[in-house]
Amino acid sequence: MITLNARQTDALTELINITFGLTAARLSEMSDSRVLMEVPVVGVHPVQGMAGELGPLISDADASVHQVFSGPISGDAILLMDYAGAVTLSNLFVEEHLRSQKFDSSTGEILTEVGNMLLSACLGMFGNLLQVHVTFSVPQLHLESSGDFMAPVSVGGDERRYALVITASFNIFGEGVNGRIVIVLGKSSLELLTEAVDRWEGSPAAVSL
Amino acid sequence: MGSRILIVDDSSMSRRIVRGILESAGHEVTEAADGMAALEGYSLQKPDLVVLDMVMGGMYGLDVLQKMYELDEHARVIVATADIQTSTREMATQAGSRGFLNKPIKKEELLSLVNSVLQERP
Repeated sequence: MITLNARQTDALTELINITFGLTAARLSEMSDSRVLMEVPVVGVHPVQGMAGELGPLISDADASVHQVFSGPISGDAILLMDYAGAVTLSNLFVEEHLRSQKFDSSTGEILTEVGNMLLSACLGMFGNLLQVHVTFSVPQLHLESSGDFMAPVSVGGDERRYALVITASFNIFGEGVNGRIVIVLGKSSLELLTEAVDRWEGSPAAVSL
Repeated sequence: MGSRILIVDDSSMSRRIVRGILESAGHEVTEAADGMAALEGYSLQKPDLVVLDMVMGGMYGLDVLQKMYELDEHARVIVATADIQTSTREMATQAGSRGFLNKPIKKEELLSLVNSVLQERP
């Protein structure tokens, strides 16, 4: 079973923190609103144990944005949010008098695009780190009442699968908004990623950041 | 005087944001939500500049870029994408893109790049 040691977790958290921090800063500028981001929490869970270990982490989600990525590393990237968080996030991008209190088509459209930005930034960072090119599918919005967000996951075959779970917390309009990003990878892709994190962690590039 | 700019993006949110920025600078903006509509719009309108997304349903942005240059070797296209990979930037540049921006778009960066590309010779 693959696990991240403390140094790998720290390095990956720092990389994701930098990437999401830039995205949050841009979202803040675009919306002319203050968007604060807490340091993300990163963990790896085997998909087999997802119901047990991952279940509590995703059980509060109502909506997800799903992108399949492929290339030398491949898998599925999913942003999970509850309806209240999605509404707060989408209200960033509409005029004050148009802000909604419920999840509607505009919320879904904005959540899909913001999800695209966060997921693409995260996966793009992996591509840059590994010095490989990763291609993405068009983001798909899923609304689930059953919480079965893993149903569309495409990584298959006999390979053991792992979920890299990133819990990101934002503060928007003074309200806490929690989102989770779940990246499902095959064993070989996760091994490539952890090796690249090890290289980055010991490289001058890490120091310069 | 403003220029005629075509925005190509499958996200209406992104189109709305980019349109707002460009119109505030006095440009005349049209939109296309996919690659086919973009190529049709380009042929009909011959805009001064195109702001093009990469990950779209149907035709991928890179294919749209290549076909646009087949239509008009002097086309001026800026890529605006959430994909932050260095390799994507290199591929877009190789395909002829005059500039590359990462989403979320920063207003000053977009306007600066648009002005710079519009000042280049076709």
